[in-house]
Amino acid sequence: MQFKDYYQTLGVARDATADDIKKAFRKLARRYHPDLSKEADAEARMKEVNEANAVLSDPEKRAAYDALGRGYQPGQDFRPPPDWDANFEFSGPGSAAEAAGFSDFFAELFGRMGGAPRGGGFGRREARFEAQGEDHHARILLDIEDAWRGATRQISLRVPRLDASGRAVLDTRTLDVRIPQGVREGQLIRLAGQGSPGFGGGAPGDLLLEVHFRPHARFRASGRDLLVDLPVAPWEAALGSVIPVGLPDGSSLKVRIPAGAQSGRQLVVRGKGLPGSPPGDLELTVRVVLPPADTARAKELYETMARELRFDPRAAGGS
Amino acid sequence: MREDDVLIGALLEDACLTLEQLSRACAVPPQWVIEHVGEGLLPAPGESPSSWRFSSRDLVRARQMLHYERDFDAAPELAALVADLLAELDEMRARLRRAGLE
Repeated sequence: MQFKDYYQTLGVARDATADDIKKAFRKLARRYHPDLSKEADAEARMKEVNEANAVLSDPEKRAAYDALGRGYQPGQDFRPPPDWDANFEFSGPGSAAEAAGFSDFFAELFGRMGGAPRGGGFGRREARFEAQGEDHHARILLDIEDAWRGATRQISLRVPRLDASGRAVLDTRTLDVRIPQGVREGQLIRLAGQGSPGFGGGAPGDLLLEVHFRPHARFRASGRDLLVDLPVAPWEAALGSVIPVGLPDGSSLKVRIPAGAQSGRQLVVRGKGLPGSPPGDLELTVRVVLPPADTARAKELYETMARELRFDPRAAGGS
Repeated sequence: MREDDVLIGALLEDACLTLEQLSRACAVPPQWVIEHVGEGLLPAPGESPSSWRFSSRDLVRARQMLHYERDFDAAPELAALVADLLAELDEMRARLRRAGLE
């Protein structure tokens, strides 16, 4: 396990005041906040910043970290001596659940679980209580095809487990999860009992997955509505036609394009969006695509149209 | 993979989370939710707390507000304002996506 320099993560000196640490944390929290940050690794950086802050903003944890980390360099191999924390009391809540979102280094140092106090310290909390485990949150990236058909996805989670000495260690657990058909972007999928373990016999928490869609080459999703551009030839748009439209499951349906459909015209096929109750709609946007005038024959056809149609597209708009 | 190894995910539909479920999902006491609903910072989804039902969207909003309150010591009203702006941003992004511009 590598030693982590939390002071370096926050960019503060080892003798920084609580106020310096708070300021440094807020500055970085703003920079890497996953809601807004454009930086590619914002989520991972935010986790590191949160972890460093969880230790350095807590006087008890900071004192223990300082005592233990003296002489270590970032990245150096690190193993804490047994019972190193015997003289420190940690009264902060939820260290096991907290540890699940942080590094092995943090879990090793501070991931002691509730209800299993270790000897040696003064005034350690011995109280037993029963509490339901915390819910965990994660994001899951799906393709629109997955929402259309339903899918089974593998998810890796870091789960705290109590070892023989009462310390939380992080295990990586892989779950196969059935994603229900018709899931929408932003919707939550609940996996009952897959969150933090409960305390003192309490039920485990749930795992809540927030659904996001990967960009798709053809389709866009808005709620359960599916949006797709429909390229048509000028004669298909002008004369009207019936055109096959491919759906995410590989099937297709036939859509009637009314005569005179201009580029940008929207056509709605009710109930043919993502499945659900009610299902979404399929919204098609007509895009008239010009054939290239790259042969003598094609040029002649365009010239014939120009001569015989006498069409001025700017006549109505005045541009 | 055996079929019984696969966990079945349940979709959280609109208006489905009780006060206790929302509080637990945010790791806050129910009082935090009650106060924020009382101040109009979270929607009041029903008559009394026992009949409240929150949506996935409410949960995402509550968690955003909580982060801003904790990370920046933000006043609840300011955290709610940030959540409002983020919701607006999401709405704008959704419109860009609809228009094929994002």
